[in-house]
Amino acid sequence: MTTTEELITEVLKGLPVQVKRQRRMFLTVPRNDLIKTMNILSSELNIQHLSTITARDTGNDLEILYHFFLNGVVITIRTSCPKNDPTVDSIVNVFPSAVLYEREIHDILGIVPTGHPDLRTLILPDNWMGGYPLRKDWKQPAEQEAEE
Amino acid sequence: MGIVKLPIGPQHPALKEPENFTITLDGERVIDVDIRIGYTHRGIEKLMESRTYTQNLYLVERICGICSYAHVENFTQNVEEILGLQIPKRAEYIRTLFLELERLHSHFLWLGVAGHEIGFDTLFMYTWQDREVVQDLLEMISGNRVNYAMNAIGGVRRDVSEEHRKKVLEGMDYLEKRTEYYKEVAINEKTILARAENVGILKPKVALKLAAVGPTARASGIMVDIRKDDPYASYPDIPFDVITTNTNDVLGRVVVRVLEVFESIKIIRYLMGHLPDGEIITKAPRKVPEGESISHTEAPRGEDFHYLRSNGTEKPERYKVRTPTLANLPAVAEMLKETYLADVPIIVAAIDPCMGCMDRVLLLKKGKEKPGELIDGERLRRYGIKWYAERGWKA
Repeated sequence: MTTTEELITEVLKGLPVQVKRQRRMFLTVPRNDLIKTMNILSSELNIQHLSTITARDTGNDLEILYHFFLNGVVITIRTSCPKNDPTVDSIVNVFPSAVLYEREIHDILGIVPTGHPDLRTLILPDNWMGGYPLRKDWKQPAEQEAEE
Repeated sequence: MGIVKLPIGPQHPALKEPENFTITLDGERVIDVDIRIGYTHRGIEKLMESRTYTQNLYLVERICGICSYAHVENFTQNVEEILGLQIPKRAEYIRTLFLELERLHSHFLWLGVAGHEIGFDTLFMYTWQDREVVQDLLEMISGNRVNYAMNAIGGVRRDVSEEHRKKVLEGMDYLEKRTEYYKEVAINEKTILARAENVGILKPKVALKLAAVGPTARASGIMVDIRKDDPYASYPDIPFDVITTNTNDVLGRVVVRVLEVFESIKIIRYLMGHLPDGEIITKAPRKVPEGESISHTEAPRGEDFHYLRSNGTEKPERYKVRTPTLANLPAVAEMLKETYLADVPIIVAAIDPCMGCMDRVLLLKKGKEKPGELIDGERLRRYGIKWYAERGWKA
């Protein structure tokens, strides 16, 4: 274990931290605790580098992963929101570099980061037909037509 | 003259790739920038969910035409981690060789583009000529100039022969001599100094806050390099230095890249001198058990981040790619503020942007238009005028 890993384990004591392998740590938090956790990462661990945000469709829920990088350790915060209420607090006030990544998950999976300053389309075209392409129930128009 | 909004792009604002910058100008001074991306979406992440791991090897390579190997390296590392596969040492060395050859040709390419943007086309001609030496080496070993198709899950597909080894070392001698010259030029040539010094300032604090990556961050004095911080492939074995400067400007970004070329040459010489004997590939199963893995590499442009979620079948459940250009985009918007319009192209080029990499998520066969419909030039022109008119610009 590197000193950074020890430090992270110490600061996040009592929370369900999972060490996947050397330099890969995961922490699952309920979405209500997200901002609280982000504040701990920012103020107590002094993490500044948010690598990216991944989101995926798990069936009834949407899982969101925030990947941070600190002195060689990738620490991932995992949270989720139900599909019928796809909202999660925006973390841009704690990590300004999240702006584009939150817009991306909003585009492709329809996750609404509440409190985000600018939720314009980022990567989908202006005349996008609607729908969230990375959800599992999304079908390409051609596939859909073929079924009908 | 009052405040003017100037749309630049999407047709090649700085280089030959589409991106739209809406620049708010007060006279010649840039006061605000808005960036619109997404013009080169190909839907690779979605597409990957319907392809097998073997098919995805070749798809992932096509995310980018320049740093293609960084992507495929990430992909294979992710799959191998979930499989628990240890690849042969020789394969690791060959992969590292390709990672560094790729950095060399990417940095030469960038140096030429930077020269071109400031009207110094001699530099462009020289560096692109030298880049051919690297391309020839890549072609000699892999059979391809770009998209080398070297990696397989479990190792590499082609071996490096004794003859290859000699040619690579000869190539490095030539490139080292040339790079000495570029170093002289970058530090002393008045054309470069006039256009690059104190241009596109990115303060270290801001770079950290906006999570800038790669040479862009290192030119602001931030000691970050995934090869050192989170070593992969055979980097733990290899002695090399991380290059940083503290000038925070475009000149710093030139210097960092030129000096990184020397480091890459050093790494390649080490690899060729210590190439272990043995197999180059181990057998891998077609199905990947349920699991997840994160892999990131130091691509020529910075941290290239991949996440894989597998579900026990032959196809991935979710694959996520974050390329260095997207990570550097907020930093570009910051660099452009308070500069002159004439400096916009070189500042944008200074992060070595790669739009093809950055936009990748959606596969769009057709939008609202009828399938296969062609839009002629006149209709496209009218569509463009309407698009801008809706957003408050007059034709």
